[in-house]
Amino acid sequence: MSDLIVVLPLVPALTAAVIATGGWRKATMWLPTVSCLTVGGIGITLAVRVLQSGPITAFSGQFRVDALGALMIILIGAVGTIANTYSVAYLRTELATAATTPHRARLFGVLMQLTIAAMCVVVTADNLGVLWVAIETTTIATVLLVGHRRDRASVEASWKYLVLGSVGVATALMGTVLVYFVSRQSGGDPSTALNWSSLVERAPHLDPGALRVAMGFVIVGYGTKAGLAPLHSWLPDAYSQAPAPAAALMAGALSTMSMYALLRFKVIADIALGASYVRTLLLAAALLSLVTAASLMVTQRDYKRLLAYSSVEHMGLIALAAAIGSPLAMTAALLHMIGNGLAKSVAFSATGEMLFATGTTRIDGVRGLLHQRPFIATTLGLSLLALLGLPPFSILASELAIVRAGIADGLAWAIAIALVVMLAIFTAVLVHALNMLAGSPGGATVPSESTAHVTSLTVRVTLVSGLLVAAAIGITIWPISQLLHTAAEVLAR
Amino acid sequence: MSATGIAVAMLQVVLTIAAAPLLVGMMRLVRARLEGRVGAPIRQPWRDLRKLLRKERMVSANTGWVFSIAPLVLLASAALVAGIVPFLSTRSALDQVGDLFAVVYLLLLGTVFLSLAGLDAGTAFGGMGASREMTIAAIAEPTVLVAIFALSVSTGSSNLGAIVAATLAHPSTAASPESLLAFAALAVVTIAETGRIPVDNPATHLELTMIHEAMILEYSGPDLAMVELAAHLRLVVFLGLLANLFVPWGIATTVQPLHLAAAAAAVAIKLVALAATIAAIEVFIAKVRLFRVPELLAASFVLAFLAVTASFFLA
Amino acid sequence: MNDTAFVQLLDIAAGLVLVTSFAALWLRRLVAVARVIAVQGVALAAVAFVIGLYEHENELVAVSLMVGALRGVVLPGLILRAVRAGDERREVESLINVPAALLAASGLTLIAYAATRDVVALSSTPQVRALPLGVAVMLIGMLLIVTRRKAVLQIMGVLMLDNGIALVMFLGTSGVPLAVELGIASDVLLAMFILQVLTSRIRNKFGGTDLDQLRELRD
Repeated sequence: MSDLIVVLPLVPALTAAVIATGGWRKATMWLPTVSCLTVGGIGITLAVRVLQSGPITAFSGQFRVDALGALMIILIGAVGTIANTYSVAYLRTELATAATTPHRARLFGVLMQLTIAAMCVVVTADNLGVLWVAIETTTIATVLLVGHRRDRASVEASWKYLVLGSVGVATALMGTVLVYFVSRQSGGDPSTALNWSSLVERAPHLDPGALRVAMGFVIVGYGTKAGLAPLHSWLPDAYSQAPAPAAALMAGALSTMSMYALLRFKVIADIALGASYVRTLLLAAALLSLVTAASLMVTQRDYKRLLAYSSVEHMGLIALAAAIGSPLAMTAALLHMIGNGLAKSVAFSATGEMLFATGTTRIDGVRGLLHQRPFIATTLGLSLLALLGLPPFSILASELAIVRAGIADGLAWAIAIALVVMLAIFTAVLVHALNMLAGSPGGATVPSESTAHVTSLTVRVTLVSGLLVAAAIGITIWPISQLLHTAAEVLAR
Repeated sequence: MSATGIAVAMLQVVLTIAAAPLLVGMMRLVRARLEGRVGAPIRQPWRDLRKLLRKERMVSANTGWVFSIAPLVLLASAALVAGIVPFLSTRSALDQVGDLFAVVYLLLLGTVFLSLAGLDAGTAFGGMGASREMTIAAIAEPTVLVAIFALSVSTGSSNLGAIVAATLAHPSTAASPESLLAFAALAVVTIAETGRIPVDNPATHLELTMIHEAMILEYSGPDLAMVELAAHLRLVVFLGLLANLFVPWGIATTVQPLHLAAAAAAVAIKLVALAATIAAIEVFIAKVRLFRVPELLAASFVLAFLAVTASFFLA
Repeated sequence: MNDTAFVQLLDIAAGLVLVTSFAALWLRRLVAVARVIAVQGVALAAVAFVIGLYEHENELVAVSLMVGALRGVVLPGLILRAVRAGDERREVESLINVPAALLAASGLTLIAYAATRDVVALSSTPQVRALPLGVAVMLIGMLLIVTRRKAVLQIMGVLMLDNGIALVMFLGTSGVPLAVELGIASDVLLAMFILQVLTSRIRNKFGGTDLDQLRELRD
């Protein structure tokens, strides 16, 4: 069984190698989709095994998959499938309009797969040092994805992303090194002192004072990478400048990876320090993220940035759930990750098609989309509704669970603030969406060549299935309920 | 306070006064040779002083009493410090007052009086020089305090003789980070306080850049001689502090004549080496622009500050 | 190597890592800053080397040589190339003036000592006593990134930040397991390389590497 853990990152890595040597052509362009479907399949297989017989380890315990890891692999597979399927159509359009070159298209395909390979390592690594290396690798790979278009705006975005991302991830490394130091001082063996499972076992014996310092660095570092305020300023730039499929992958899966790393450390901290320390930090970051996102979404003029701030909002909600920390809240956090991953990747893919159809990312540049482009408009509208937490999508279920868990845990005041902020976001997004979707296309000028752009059938099928899955999980949770609860038990206090 | 102790202190003052102009002459000679000039002989500064002492004393009618007593205060404070600092022996007669703070404030006293004198004359250059000198002193004096304080932390005493004796007893502390940092800080301050390149150029009267020379423009005759001698003394005091605080070997721990003679020879060698190094470096670097001087001094303050943190946290 | 000599050498090398980060704030010429960062890398390698010799750990000695080559020669070399390619040898603008930056850095050093009190309390070895220096270097690296408006200087800030973390790594635990160490080193190398690529792209698109020109993206 441990073979699968070894195979898992190799699938996207080999796909990347094939594209790197073979180029981006008809024979290779569907390989990434196949690779992501395989990753998802391996995730499901691992999930079944884990539920039957407990966590699986490989490489003498340096890699380990438990229910949480399996759930994350499935999420990577699902989001990766949506993003990679869409990237086929996206690159075809870009190549047809000479917006990119075959060379850059190849680089794009390689980097997408490398990012997915690194994410697979993130969720299977038991060694927190390896986990850090994998997260840093995703940063490096996605920086070049953000800079794919190589115009002024995307160069600026990738610079800010790399500098702030490096600072954030380096801070997390400082925290990881200090955790290693604390672990070694408490008598940990060098080869396992940084392993999550052994740290959890020995957590009661770790020195609380020093661990508190280390956790501060870790939370700030991975929080920055996840896009939590106040260090979120790279995120709207990077997401809005990244090509739509890359943005879909980053918003849907990559930010969740940093959150995943944060939650792993939180387990250690909760045992060693008690819950209040991490809770305070996460609560502050969560509420600040929600407020920041809301204030910038109300006045937003760019629809990709609108979605980017929606990511800040949802990371804030997940952090809020993590701050509550009860089993119900952790289940909600994980369900929220899945709901956000699916809806956000569909939404970002839809913005890619909107950009081709209208030639602008300005909200006031888009009018009467429902009339012109019924499919894109419906997809975007539905994914926005899903992100806002309307039935039947799963985000409603996770948000309700967070509210219940928060009130049960005596954090009603924080929940109240969150609800008020979310109401503001709800109104803002609805107004922006109506402006873009409804009305007649009169005032907006539409470039003639891009009106010829047609959304391909595969893209339609993928986006609709993404939304359908999100809705299905919202209506009935049974296919993943056991996995979700087992995974939440890993994280809950 | 024993009689021999007083004798040692007096000897130290006399020797310093005798040697200071010679040291300055040597620095000028080293510079001249490196620049390809023949240069004046080493005893030229003494000749200049003698010539000035023979000249008539001219005092502007606009000046007050500060202008008249400033050279005396400057020279007296410099001579007193020359007696206090442990050049020859760690057991100087003025040991009880040989305190870090006393030394720093005696030196500052001279600086303040000279600046006041610069203002007193009422000329544009005097005021300009005084203001510049105060800008430098405001950052340089705290740096000296903090740097020597860093050294005194490990000794547990702010007495200069005790610090030197402690370094003698534990030679390895001379290479510890705090003493290296303090040395760097003091070196920069020494350059600034004695008006050497890159902070000030003792050989120029270019009004845009001069600091020390601007303040003493109004002095002539014996007054100028006193100011010049005091400036030479301060240079020796600073260099001597630098040498003996960080490389104390050779200094006498007793007051026996033989030891004192050896100590005098040792300190002379150290001073000559240090002065020659400074003179040689001056040939190769340019004076920094005036607005960069606070940055230079801020850097030296930070070094001194780091020395203190290091002596607290690393020791 | 006896104990006193070990402590002396260790403290001097670790102190040099900190002092070079102050020097990087103080200097104005880009080439000079890049050289100072190279010195910092060598000092960092010296820390690892001294610890390796003292504890008779050959692996750490080997790692120190690798660190010296990477952080003392290769990465500063990359930066120097980026500086020379730009024909902008002088650093002109900083958000705060030099004395203020130096004082801020002193403050950060104190904060580093204060924040790591509990960490230092865990052990009484000379290595751990010097550990706050690494945190201080990291914070000063951040200060450099925040206050300087030149792309190349921000790269140097990122490198300095990594040097600080590596210092903590060597002082605290004599390095992390070799596999992780190699992963970190290659990631740092890659990040530096991409930063340099981006610098040249910024230069192409904006006609200079002054980061104040980067104001396309705003809300």
